[in-house]
Amino acid sequence: MAIMISIPAGITANQASTQNLTQNLSNTITQTEASINQTLTQITCSLSSGFEGFGFNPGNFTPGQFGGGGNFNLGQFGGGGNVPGEFGGGAFSGGGTSAMNETLYSDISSIENVAAVVPSLQASEGTNQTVEMFGRSFTRLVPDYVIEGIPLNSSLVDNYPILPTNITDGRNLQGGDSGVVLLSENNSKFFDAGVGDTITILGKTFEVVGVHGSSGVSDRTTLYMNLSDAQVLTNNTGYITSLEVFASSSSVVTEVANAVSSLHPELSVVTAQQRLEQLQAMQTSYNTALQNAESTLNQTQTTAFEEIVVAVAATSLIVLFVMLYTVRERTKEIGTLKAIGFSNWTVMSQFMLEGVLLSLVAGVVGIAIASVAAPTLSSLLLPSVNPFGGSVRLGANAGASNPSAATIAINPQLMLLAFGAAALLGALGSLYPAWRASRTRPAEAMRYE
Amino acid sequence: MSEAVLKIENLSKSYTLGKRSVQALSGVNLKVNKGEFVAIMGPSGSGKTTLLNVLGCLDKPTSGRILLDEVDVAKLPETELYKIRRNKIGFVFQTFNLLPYLNAIENVELPMECTKKSKSERRRRASKLLEMVGLSGREGHRPQRLSAGEQQRVAIARALANDPAILLADEPTGNLDTKNKQELVKLLASLNLNQGTTIIIVTHDGQVASHTERMLLLKDGKIIKEKQGLHLAKKKLMCPHCGSRIQVSDTSCPSCKKRL
Repeated sequence: MAIMISIPAGITANQASTQNLTQNLSNTITQTEASINQTLTQITCSLSSGFEGFGFNPGNFTPGQFGGGGNFNLGQFGGGGNVPGEFGGGAFSGGGTSAMNETLYSDISSIENVAAVVPSLQASEGTNQTVEMFGRSFTRLVPDYVIEGIPLNSSLVDNYPILPTNITDGRNLQGGDSGVVLLSENNSKFFDAGVGDTITILGKTFEVVGVHGSSGVSDRTTLYMNLSDAQVLTNNTGYITSLEVFASSSSVVTEVANAVSSLHPELSVVTAQQRLEQLQAMQTSYNTALQNAESTLNQTQTTAFEEIVVAVAATSLIVLFVMLYTVRERTKEIGTLKAIGFSNWTVMSQFMLEGVLLSLVAGVVGIAIASVAAPTLSSLLLPSVNPFGGSVRLGANAGASNPSAATIAINPQLMLLAFGAAALLGALGSLYPAWRASRTRPAEAMRYE
Repeated sequence: MSEAVLKIENLSKSYTLGKRSVQALSGVNLKVNKGEFVAIMGPSGSGKTTLLNVLGCLDKPTSGRILLDEVDVAKLPETELYKIRRNKIGFVFQTFNLLPYLNAIENVELPMECTKKSKSERRRRASKLLEMVGLSGREGHRPQRLSAGEQQRVAIARALANDPAILLADEPTGNLDTKNKQELVKLLASLNLNQGTTIIIVTHDGQVASHTERMLLLKDGKIIKEKQGLHLAKKKLMCPHCGSRIQVSDTSCPSCKKRL
């Protein structure tokens, strides 16, 4: 009985956890899809890191490019204008973006099918750390936070995905904002400041207007402010680190990207295509995970079904044998009852009733046991749902893949169902013995000792 | 002439024991009148119990007729027979057969369970019957707390619950000591005498049988002898030895001093 109750409880828990997981996965997929749609028209343009873009190669040493390179250390090394003009850092920036003169790229907005150009300035603030690598020592910045300057212009921030979308406290930045920042949750902890507080960045005070949670477009350590504030703050007036170019439609993204590349060959142009592919890969893996979850659940249900069949069969057989034994033991009583005028039907119903009552008592005991041992029993008897094969975890969703003991609870419906099953099995198991009892011929029964 | 409550015509019963066919009863004819007290005697295996079982509708005869209140019960199906057992027949067993988990009064109420009588009516009748068999005040006792004699009296009260046409007792004194045996015989005799209950008992005890009105000797499934018992004399209130007047309660004749 306990088994009969625990297994459905376990299944319910598994179903709940799978549902939870499914929900999480589909949420993620929806988010991903939204993200894909949002970024379809987006092209990120920045100066390629490393040698080519920064004039290490004398052949490429053109004034235009050099202009960008002059402040190259801004984004990657030690914050705004620490050592302006120091060339060496650029070589080790490894895939990062570097400062570009804003005015040099004003021509991009006049390319056909370009809907908007959003310049931004990114600067990391943190502490330098020296690491040994390949027998040499390198200085590397461990960022505490990243400043992202975005032009707070209503026509841009309202229409293009350039600001974080999930605001967890306060409000988002909006057109015309200045002297204010939008912190990430991590920043909020780092500065120990919340909405309405004032923080000091590089000696200048800013008011915190909101806090954002990390998402696809925003980073966990990025704080957002007005581009001009960021430029002044980091001593980079007129400079930016990247340009987000938005094509008028997703079908012309490639053309626009090519046009940008040919106009400014020094720029690294990344279309949304790459991101799209990444997101699609993610989606595929989520789908696989979902399928795994489903098949695990099916497997669990099959196992549970088999176990319940065994439990039911065993219960019925036990009732059958107990009742057969009882009938045998009480043959004389049955004979007596019939001799004093009990009908076959009365005798049969009496024994049926006894069988049912016996099972109901067993049912109560079973429920009592199950209410204590259900988590143990069901985890012993059922495979758990884990679509990622144990080691693979899906971030915050990982917790949903294994039903914890607390989730296996016996609900009243389940108890009622088990009670009903007990009664039914009792009736079923005692049917034949009761029938046999009723058929006993009194004269024979009386001879039985 | 009193009316016959039971009439048996050419009754035979045989059953197979392994490969052997046993003729338990062969052509028994018997008439029992209303209010009679009859003993069936005979050695073991003579067919006494078989006869009583067939009369009590606990077993079916192979052939012959059993007219109980002019109904041939030998032909009735099981769906009807239980009503006959309930309403027309009271059965008393050698081993009492009380239900151990019910107390005295509940045991007596049991046969009335399936009748139309109300709960209080049943309780009243059961308590009256227990009083009649001399067990007032012991209604709440379970069988294991009653002596053998008391248990058998509860069984008799139970047998009388639905006011049967005939009381059948299979060796009712078989498990009782001498004192209880006499008490029980007295009880049966007084029931017969005072309530007019028709009683047939099976016994191999001559002394018990002698207190009845009529003794039938059964041998090899046939009634071979019939004898008058002392009970008849009591009924007629006349000493069988000297013919002088006697009282029902007398155990010996007041004139000739012989035992009754």
